[in-house]
Amino acid sequence: MKGDSMRWDPYLLKGGEEFGKFCNQYLGLGEKEILYVLGKGFDPRMCNGIEQLLYYGGKGKRDCLLIEFEEGEESSSHQYSPRAHRNLEKLHELMSGKGIIRRESVQMWSGDDIRKRRIGSFSAGNVMSKIENIDEYTDIVVDVSAMPQSIYFPLIGSCLSLIDERASHISLHIIVCENVMIDKRIIDDGIDDKAYYVHGFSSGLENEATEGIPKIWIPILGEGNSVKLERIYTLVSPDEICPVLPSPSANPRQGDDILLEYRELIFDQWRVEPKNIIYSSEQNPFEAYRQICRTVLHYEQALNPLGGCKFVISAVSSKLISLGALLATYELKRKGKSIGLAHIEAQGYTMQRDMSDFEANNELFTLSLSGSCYE
Amino acid sequence: MREPRNPFRMRSSEHIDSDSTFIRLFCPEGLDLLPQNKLWERVQIIRSAPGGGKTTLLRAFTPNVLNTLYESQSNEDYKMLFNKMKQLDVITEDGPNLLGIVLSCSRNYATLEDLDCNPVQKERLLYALLNARIILATLRNVLILKKMNYPNDLHRITFEINIDAFPADIETPCTGRQLYEWARSVEKSVSDIMDRFGPIERKPIQGHDTLFSLEMITPDHISIDGNPLKCRVLIMFDDVHQLSLNQRRKLIQTVIEARPVVSVWLAERLEALAPDELLASGVIAGREYERPINMEEYWRNVHNKRFEKAMIDIADRRARSARDIPIVSFDACLQESLDGAKWNQVFQQTIDTCEKRIMDKKGNSKKYDDWIRSKEIEEGTLRQQAIGWRTLEILIERDLNKSQLSFDFDNILSLDELEHRDNSSAQAAAELYLAEEFNIPYYYGISRVTSIASYNIEQFLDFSGELFEEIIASTLLKRQQSLDPSRQEAIQKKVAQQRWDDIIRRIPNGRGVQNFLLAIKDLANEEWDKGTASYGGGGGITGIGITMVDRDKMVKSDSNYQHAMYKNLNTILSLCISNHLLEVTLGLKQGGKSWMILYLNRWLCLQFGLPLQYGGWKSIKPKELINWVDKGYRLSDKNGGSLFDEG
Repeated sequence: MKGDSMRWDPYLLKGGEEFGKFCNQYLGLGEKEILYVLGKGFDPRMCNGIEQLLYYGGKGKRDCLLIEFEEGEESSSHQYSPRAHRNLEKLHELMSGKGIIRRESVQMWSGDDIRKRRIGSFSAGNVMSKIENIDEYTDIVVDVSAMPQSIYFPLIGSCLSLIDERASHISLHIIVCENVMIDKRIIDDGIDDKAYYVHGFSSGLENEATEGIPKIWIPILGEGNSVKLERIYTLVSPDEICPVLPSPSANPRQGDDILLEYRELIFDQWRVEPKNIIYSSEQNPFEAYRQICRTVLHYEQALNPLGGCKFVISAVSSKLISLGALLATYELKRKGKSIGLAHIEAQGYTMQRDMSDFEANNELFTLSLSGSCYE
Repeated sequence: MREPRNPFRMRSSEHIDSDSTFIRLFCPEGLDLLPQNKLWERVQIIRSAPGGGKTTLLRAFTPNVLNTLYESQSNEDYKMLFNKMKQLDVITEDGPNLLGIVLSCSRNYATLEDLDCNPVQKERLLYALLNARIILATLRNVLILKKMNYPNDLHRITFEINIDAFPADIETPCTGRQLYEWARSVEKSVSDIMDRFGPIERKPIQGHDTLFSLEMITPDHISIDGNPLKCRVLIMFDDVHQLSLNQRRKLIQTVIEARPVVSVWLAERLEALAPDELLASGVIAGREYERPINMEEYWRNVHNKRFEKAMIDIADRRARSARDIPIVSFDACLQESLDGAKWNQVFQQTIDTCEKRIMDKKGNSKKYDDWIRSKEIEEGTLRQQAIGWRTLEILIERDLNKSQLSFDFDNILSLDELEHRDNSSAQAAAELYLAEEFNIPYYYGISRVTSIASYNIEQFLDFSGELFEEIIASTLLKRQQSLDPSRQEAIQKKVAQQRWDDIIRRIPNGRGVQNFLLAIKDLANEEWDKGTASYGGGGGITGIGITMVDRDKMVKSDSNYQHAMYKNLNTILSLCISNHLLEVTLGLKQGGKSWMILYLNRWLCLQFGLPLQYGGWKSIKPKELINWVDKGYRLSDKNGGSLFDEG
């Protein structure tokens, strides 16, 4: 890393039992004016984070920014509207008498029925700029538990950008409720035909002026996403691929299982050299962030004398580890690297009728990205 | 990256890194679909379903490929491609004679539509981005064509431009370097506007009024080291379907109206077309542009054997490129015969069973005695005899049905009559009935593998790639290299099942699409189970027919009521056609009417256990199709079809 210090090193990540202890301690430090940003959805984990936060009390404002996804009439997710409604009722109950709930809708599509375009990422990148009184808050908490990647990537990116451009002292926290059992039971229903670069993270990667400069793709892999990977590959058309496998992970064989699942894709179609594979802890996004930053800097050192290179990061993995991809891309982009985030979206989701049996496995994590703990 | 273990897995051409590999794998027959007449003088639109080979075709005209081909002209493997390129005047004895520039529209153009600014500003930004990228791509490709270093040799290019629309912020004549810097800054400023968080800044948006770049990149305007660029220029816009509706319309209109001196090709997927265009196959042509090329349609219209030959060529080229095993011919690895000892016992059993069933059917009647006797003395392999007996059973079934209508039960049928009725359609159906009833493989051999591809190259590679995987494994395990028919069929069924499962993941409203296809399957099975195999082609239904009058009603529904009624049906049909699940044949004349036939893609025939031949279809009213979309096919409902409108 010679001379290139990393912004989130050291870092603040608390999960499991530590999550509650941290909330208790942090909220007891003094008055905290908190804006809690969460997505309205059917995911049973939607309110877990805010419930915990409110449970630990503390002084100061507790406002909520509820992001509603306008998915259009045809989304298969509508079949779960009753669940989303129950989640909303619970949120109102939790927030009752504690603060205001502001709603912002995010348009997911534009265009007509057949030739509609996905614009969720673009819309989400503009949400924070609509909050006029943002400076009244000491803390922004973004809970990504019920948000798709296409929303939380630009949303967090725009929060960081806002804080950095204004040299603000706002503390930005991310909350994720992890539960592999529930994740496995929420299944993509129809994958978009085309991957895209997340709004705010395309970095001119598609510019003709940089055509011909080698492109390195660093995908964080998770299970059951071969179609997504194929389509991101088509978008990126990389010259070199460095897949990231989760290891260590809760299931010690997960890395092997993923390789087995994608062997044809990785070794036959993409012809990846096994030595290019990177390993990163499943439950520590900051490790993924560090691994990606290191890989990028090593490639730059090697290829800069030959005209440089471009990087594309993507995460078809758990939400927690995907945040590592976001952090690395954000930081490296600010440092002037040619780096982008590629993503592809499902057109809807199907899920098992009753997931209450698995809710005991919910595990809350929080990452602090800016503010007092880094000052 | 390493050499491929299974070269069939290298799908789209942009993923084949080296140009020599590309040429080695490129099938020259693919060039035949280009019109021989006025190829370079008119705007050419090229369309296909995903995987049809558009990008591969365009890449064949790029400078790197042409240079590599020219340098390898003495190589026997490339001779045919070289000669075809010579015929097209793309390569001469002196070298490449074409500056081919591919510009992908899959880049971020559509994002411009979402910016918070007025339509005029969006249009100016679109033109600015296109102009910048066309100029940058031209500069890069000029240097590649002339084997110079990009971007170091940009100063050796000179542009002498004298056009009104050229922006005032760059002086001409200028060097390639100056033009590069200018175009790069234009491209960057537009990209930055698109990629920033929050609303765009309220300062005046720069941009361009027109697509002037098409006018400026003519050979007359470009010189290298003082020498004019003496070659034809071809701009190839790829993935035009990725533009927004407005942008696509604007680009096509601008290109056509500009009547550029340079040649322009526009390649897009069928999904670019609106439902009414799709159901009309987009067949509009004009003075300024050639009739669009539909790649699948081209292969369908030329003789079937030509597609098969081209696919065998593609397969052999890929098989020869495999890293671990020496295979010269792919089709030689697919066993074609069921005449071995292993199957004789099965065929003997089928003959006995068919004969017994025929005897049961005819009862005491002597009507078919001559026919039966002819089968008893028929020579040939046991397989041929089995097909003969099963064909006879079909013919008797047909005749018995007919007799019940005409009350003609006793006239003895002659051998001439048998010969007249014993056509290829009945024989083909007999083979499939036998396969179903006695668990004999049917979907095997190179001809059927190419049929299953339904004139789509990527689809062919999908199925053949899985077969090749097994061939590699067999070779490495030192087993027999060729695959027996049962194994071929099992592998292909597995691929079909994967594709079927993938519909939900890959296609919008995938479940609706599946339900509609299942309705066609139910209709086909209902007819097939009658045992008469009385439809064209392989005897069974593999498609549906809609009269052109009904089709017009569907696509040109004027009233809101009609529009709402057909909306879901048109959406499902559009998805099926653009994703190459249904193949359209327009204007077929039959029974005094003109028809639009929608055939199942042949891999769906494999999936549903239907014959692979085209020709068997049944007419369905749009009202019934709407029911299919909502509720699926109902076996008991006979309202949809009519007795006479059948192919």
